Amino acid sequence: MSTTPRVSSAIAGEPAHFGSVLAHQPDIAASFAALYGRFWGSDVVPARIKEVARMRNARVTECGFCRNVRFDKAVAQGLGEDVVDDITDGYEASARLTDTEKAVLKFTDALIHDPELLTGDARAALQRHLTPAQIAELGLGVTLFLALAKALITMGLEPEEMTRTVLPTPAVLEAAE
Amino acid sequence: MSGPVHAALASDPVLAEHYAAFRKRAESALDARFVALIRQAIAAVHAMEAAAIDDAALDEGTRTALAYARRIPFEHTAITDAEAAQVIAHLGEPKFVAFSVVAALADAECRAALVDLPGLAGG
Repeated sequence: MSTTPRVSSAIAGEPAHFGSVLAHQPDIAASFAALYGRFWGSDVVPARIKEVARMRNARVTECGFCRNVRFDKAVAQGLGEDVVDDITDGYEASARLTDTEKAVLKFTDALIHDPELLTGDARAALQRHLTPAQIAELGLGVTLFLALAKALITMGLEPEEMTRTVLPTPAVLEAAE
Repeated sequence: MSGPVHAALASDPVLAEHYAAFRKRAESALDARFVALIRQAIAAVHAMEAAAIDDAALDEGTRTALAYARRIPFEHTAITDAEAAQVIAHLGEPKFVAFSVVAALADAECRAALVDLPGLAGG
């Protein structure tokens, strides 16, 4: 896995990072920002649940950038580092994660790693804890987390070093609406 | 727009429309035939039903790009700088960015289909 950018920045004076590289394709960047803002702005699935899935994806895909970013809306909903620390293999035994979060993690693992993980009891648990509309929104989120993490990694945009960073949760810009 | 994610979002037309717009923007940055080949190649890696690709009928640049795309589903961390450079030499940087998004999204959509996301979402 490379920490040397494979694509240059498209923004003069800025180093290569996900935003400056995506700027090579402004229409893609704008449509992604609108989608991601709408996704995080929706409360059909609480931000804490979305962030639990995003953290799991970050660990499984080995996306260091994703792993070190926290979105403030999820932090405000009580997602502390003690909980995040439990989003690792063996999360089923965690006393800090809720049953809903464990069902979400199993779904996330199934989507990003092995679909066989979502048979029988795991599928029933997901449908017991989440409504169909929530599963749809969560499915969109995991799809985007996975795709963007892989795009970031394969474009060589992993940081050499990065400390944990709390960022404002993506939001829909009013001017874009 | 077709695909498991868009289908799953049937109950949320606004989010579905945003997702469709994002995928369309990414795909429209590349030749439509090339996009279809990327999606076919990745579906085949997932052992999903996909038309066979006659690699011999393709130019070398497209073959190189498809070989790279086939590594996205299970080997994304093993792709080397040299492999990426070969694809960039063929596509140029702006199209490589679009290609990276399209290929990764195709992989994620295959995975969403394999867990039956539309069925889970009641679509």
